[in-house]
Amino acid sequence: MPTLPEGTIQVERVWKKFRSDKTLPLFYDQMTRLSRRLTDRDEPGYRWVLKDVNFDVSPGESMALIGINGSGKTTLLKILSQVTYQSAGRCTVVGRIGALLGVTAGLHPDLSGRENVFLYGAVLGMGRDAIRRKFDTIVEFAELSDAIDRQVKFFSMGMQMRLGFSISAFLEPDILLVDEVLSVGDANFQQKCLQRIGEIVNNGTTLIYVSHDLASVEASCQRALWLSNAVVRAAGPTKDVVTLYRTEVEQNASRVNMEPGVVQVLKAEVRATDGGPIRSECELEVRLVLNAPQEAMANFFVGVSQGTAFPMFVVDHHGTMPEGDFEVVCKLGYLPVPRGHYSLWSAITGYPRGKRDPYLTWQPLVSFESFGPDRMDPPQGVMALTPVYVGAQWEVN
Amino acid sequence: MTDLAVDQPGRREALVVTDLSTIPAEPSDDIVYEHRAPFFASVRTLWANREIMYTLAERDFRAQYKQAVLGLAWAVLSPVATLVIFVLVFSHVKKAFPTDGIPYALFAFVGIMCWTFFAGSLGSGGSALLTNKGLMAKTQFPRECFPLETMLVVGLNTVISFIPLTLLFVIFGRAPKVATVWVPLFMVIEVVFAVGITLAVSSLIVQMRDLAQVLPIIISLGIFMTPVIWPFSYIPTKYHLFGGTEVHGHWIGGISINLQAVYGFINPLGPVINSIRQTMLLGVHPSWWPLTTAAAGALCYLVFGYKIFKRYEVNFADIA
Repeated sequence: MPTLPEGTIQVERVWKKFRSDKTLPLFYDQMTRLSRRLTDRDEPGYRWVLKDVNFDVSPGESMALIGINGSGKTTLLKILSQVTYQSAGRCTVVGRIGALLGVTAGLHPDLSGRENVFLYGAVLGMGRDAIRRKFDTIVEFAELSDAIDRQVKFFSMGMQMRLGFSISAFLEPDILLVDEVLSVGDANFQQKCLQRIGEIVNNGTTLIYVSHDLASVEASCQRALWLSNAVVRAAGPTKDVVTLYRTEVEQNASRVNMEPGVVQVLKAEVRATDGGPIRSECELEVRLVLNAPQEAMANFFVGVSQGTAFPMFVVDHHGTMPEGDFEVVCKLGYLPVPRGHYSLWSAITGYPRGKRDPYLTWQPLVSFESFGPDRMDPPQGVMALTPVYVGAQWEVN
Repeated sequence: MTDLAVDQPGRREALVVTDLSTIPAEPSDDIVYEHRAPFFASVRTLWANREIMYTLAERDFRAQYKQAVLGLAWAVLSPVATLVIFVLVFSHVKKAFPTDGIPYALFAFVGIMCWTFFAGSLGSGGSALLTNKGLMAKTQFPRECFPLETMLVVGLNTVISFIPLTLLFVIFGRAPKVATVWVPLFMVIEVVFAVGITLAVSSLIVQMRDLAQVLPIIISLGIFMTPVIWPFSYIPTKYHLFGGTEVHGHWIGGISINLQAVYGFINPLGPVINSIRQTMLLGVHPSWWPLTTAAAGALCYLVFGYKIFKRYEVNFADIA
């Protein structure tokens, strides 16, 4: 076999099974299982958390693992970092691995920040001299110069996170595995972390990045692998995979069985006002035909989302909701989205806002395609999360 | 899913959507992963990672005394306190066991020191994988480091308890005999034995938590099964299995075995404690035969303990 360059990852037909949730190792359960086994009604004592996973990553590449909770992302990372072993298949990882999996796990609460830098650094495979050289940089990055001699148990969660991340971030590994570490920490520090990760990647380190935050995934990775229910659903350029993933999440979101509210939706349509195809920057007309059981003061909401229940922007309007069938027309002056697949969401709540159940729960009513230019990407390591303002004209008859 | 070959960067650009129907229900038998951890390769990896072990031991040692007002002084104070209890209690039970003229406090303290190291290793080292599971699930250095670093801390505490031992010698106006030079050898046997059994127990505890409940019971029983407070000479050197007859007080013929040697193989601590007493306190040669079987036994514990550990390490991160 030829020697692979450092930073290479090859995953071939990797399978991983976990003990089934049902076989708790309690005496009673063991007895139950024994009796079941005797009567041939035993269920398999395991379930697959990864099935036939294949991919490879060359040195210096960055790849994201995306997927819903429990899809196997973290397990795959653990196999890559050799924390746990695959049940079948082959996993070749060449080079020194730096794993940012739950960055506060290596910290000892009773020791001071300073002692922890040395402890955690050593545990992650840094030599004592290397840590001493980088000590000031690490502390400065973590913004902990004042607190570094305090015991870590007196640190806030955010401080612990910053310390843990900073130590791991200055490891200079060949392969960096990052698992959802940016969930704690304020926006500034998150941005700093992303920048640091970007720097590491620019220095030629291979990056495997796990996050639910698709914006940060798009910001830091060239490629993405979508895991769903233990299998790889799709792999390829981040943008394409993320779009596929969003579409699926959207479909699931609309399948969620919610109380629809007292107002019934009879018809919902979206079109460009000028009659042409829906495209970027066009004026968008939303026409809803609804039925209300009684007249009321109400607040109408319309929003556009891509993939999730969280809209990119929302417009609202308050006024009288008539009894019986009525029509709501909302003209969005300007559609500020690039080419893609979007959902139109709507809700009607009481006005003024109170604790009452909404007349119409926030739900996707119709989806549409928008033509236009591709989205422009922010610079590497920067998340695009801009609140959008859209002017709108409303008509309720 | 189709392979994304390394040497074809063009293909990598494309989006590949998996055809779910191509994924079999189970992996084929030829790719099932078998965990191989050859003995010597594992030892080499462990040696390469020894820094981590020291650092972890330092962590535990520091953390142990971190918030105590007296701090590190406790490391010396607590064995001294044990010593005081010893002198007070055992100066009244001189006649309990024959000790060949050694003051009983001294006789027992040697045994207790050896036992404390062993019980401490087994007790805290045995559960080391569970107490460190947070770290274990995130890092990838050899798992042996966890039980072994715990043993280092216990060992350090044992070394400190040489201070009260010295005090005991002063109190009873005695000096260690020249044969004390042998003592390090006995300690090596004890350490080898303790490492082996601790590795095995720590890996088995992860598989079966019941063991964590049983272990303290076994340890508190063990102190009585080991010549800690009683002399090793209680075990006969000649045990007549069958055959032979007694003539003028001597047993002639038949098959007899050296029970001390057999005991030593099963529990190397017996000959170790006995030999320390023989050399350090009495100044005579240790009984070589039980000591040899003890060394052989300890080595077996080490090899099998390590093999068990390596065999079960596959699922530590999954179920710990």
